[in-house]
Amino acid sequence: MRGTPVKLEGVTKRFRNVVAVCNLKLEISGGELLVLLGPSGCGKTTTLRVVAGLEIPDEGRVYIDNTDVTYLEPGERGVAMVFQDYALYPHMTAFDNIAFPLKVRAKRLRLSKRDIEERVLRVAKMLGIESLLDRKPTQLSGGQQQRVALARALVTEPRVWLMDEPLSNLDALIRLQVRAELKKLQKDLGITTIYVTHDQVEALSLADRVAVMNAGRIVQVGTPREVYENPQHIFVATFIGAPPMNIVKCKVSNNLIECPGFVKRIPGEKLQGLNTIHIGIRPEHIELTRREESDIEGVVYVVEPLGAEYIINVLIDKDTLIKVKTIREVQLSTGDKVYLRVDWKKAVAFDPATGQTLADLLPTLKGEGSR
Amino acid sequence: MIKTTTKKLIKTILINAVIWALALLWVLPFIGLALVSLMPYRGVIVRGWLRLPSLDSLSFKNFIEALANPLYDMATGYRNSVIVASASTILPLISAALAAYAFTYLDFRLKAMLFGLIIVIMMVPQQLVVVPLFFLYNYLRLYNTIPGIVLLHSAWGVAWSTFFLRNYFKFIPKSLVDAARVFGASDFQIFRKIVMPLSIPGIIAATVLQFTWVWNDLFYALTFLVSKENQVLTQKLVMLKGEYHIDWGLLTAGSIITMSMPLILYIAFNKYFMRGVAGWGVRR
Repeated sequence: MRGTPVKLEGVTKRFRNVVAVCNLKLEISGGELLVLLGPSGCGKTTTLRVVAGLEIPDEGRVYIDNTDVTYLEPGERGVAMVFQDYALYPHMTAFDNIAFPLKVRAKRLRLSKRDIEERVLRVAKMLGIESLLDRKPTQLSGGQQQRVALARALVTEPRVWLMDEPLSNLDALIRLQVRAELKKLQKDLGITTIYVTHDQVEALSLADRVAVMNAGRIVQVGTPREVYENPQHIFVATFIGAPPMNIVKCKVSNNLIECPGFVKRIPGEKLQGLNTIHIGIRPEHIELTRREESDIEGVVYVVEPLGAEYIINVLIDKDTLIKVKTIREVQLSTGDKVYLRVDWKKAVAFDPATGQTLADLLPTLKGEGSR
Repeated sequence: MIKTTTKKLIKTILINAVIWALALLWVLPFIGLALVSLMPYRGVIVRGWLRLPSLDSLSFKNFIEALANPLYDMATGYRNSVIVASASTILPLISAALAAYAFTYLDFRLKAMLFGLIIVIMMVPQQLVVVPLFFLYNYLRLYNTIPGIVLLHSAWGVAWSTFFLRNYFKFIPKSLVDAARVFGASDFQIFRKIVMPLSIPGIIAATVLQFTWVWNDLFYALTFLVSKENQVLTQKLVMLKGEYHIDWGLLTAGSIITMSMPLILYIAFNKYFMRGVAGWGVRR
């Protein structure tokens, strides 16, 4: 079965004089799981609500299955939504909650009582909650409530699934379990899904593609790998990754990039008009060595052991702190002198004024350089 | 250790004593009313009202007299009061619930202005508009009719109960309504299946408030209901007080008959009543 494509075309939504979403363009292909990722207030939930029909955009169009649905009622769009707080009806049993979308449309869909019962049971069985159907939401655990909410969003056989931080109210352990189940379910059913979260780990683990949003705009869309390895904006680089990318503020003079703690030589004409650049290095692309010939000298500020890995905070300058991630066991303590070897092939340079990635600078960074 | 526990005990006893004393003071007038209404008139005059009466002297004579004697005819008043108060509660609450839904969940032009208007109406004293209303009612031939006074009380009730219920609805998480909308429920379905069941305490609180307000009303009743067969209980109660002589037994019996309905409502619904207070807190 081919899923339903969704397309947003130049969508703008304002609340009074606050622009929540600005000229947003997005295409989601059938059966794809797209994650809208961004900090709170970036407009990701508003975007989702526009697709759901709960908000009418001020400008732009929304297409579901190549049909313009911009001004269609939410109930006529063939979408289903899972809410952050699950939005289960406290006065109804789990069964009635799941049956609700069918009951309100029973006449239109010509469903008999038995049809409804059959479909509710089928979905409940799929999610393993058939034994909980006569309970009220308050008698269910967080994970069970979540399943009921999922079942309710499945029972109408929607074309598009919309999820607004559905896992954020769950305990950390259950969240991991449900996350995997959710991904499996989505892949099995092939329902086009738009998933909103501010949790970058969740985004990377679930998504076919991630759309990183900031201040009402999409900053970058790509597969989790692309977004992680080739951030096109300093915002993406610093938002994704745990810990995020190290950003070193460097001065440019002639054909030298002078960074705190190290200097790199590059052909001068590539940096015309720039006085400063930011260099981004992922913590796992830095290696700790004790050998002198390594690139950068620094002093251990603090070591954070995380079980399987270590985060070592290194001061390479008075006020430049670099985070290094390693899976090797380290025996370092505050004040120790260390040498950092950077994998320059994976470093990124950003224009400090616009935040954009300076793509043409990358090869030059990869060249030789020394202090 | 022992010292602190005894201290605690003394504190508990003291607090209890104060609370009981206050409670007693609070119910004393009612106990007085009950005693006087049950005792023979002579006994009250000669020996005072605050005493334990002998059981065989107690009688319901005063109650029967107040209800059945055509001179006082509180039975008719009771019937009229039930009709007026019930109708003047059901009508405005249905429209107020619908209006409050619109004010909470729908967007329409002049919404803020209309809501402001409701608050303004809530602030208008009833006495201020009674004269023009009197002329209007006369002109519309609604003067001295039960539907007329029901309409009047309903009009006043709609304003505050819309405000009250709208505030109550604001406590329902918005996602519940959003979810219903995404699942294709119509506004009326959302109103009936989600919002109404979840605001039962608020609805009951508003019902009790409006009902007792109308039940206790004397001002509009005196102005708009004149004929004996249309008069409500509060009007009948006033007439129990003679011009030259007060039959305390009769008057207290009448008072208790009049109070009975609000009293029963408060006792039956006091749980909801407390929860319904939420309706007065404004939420944006």
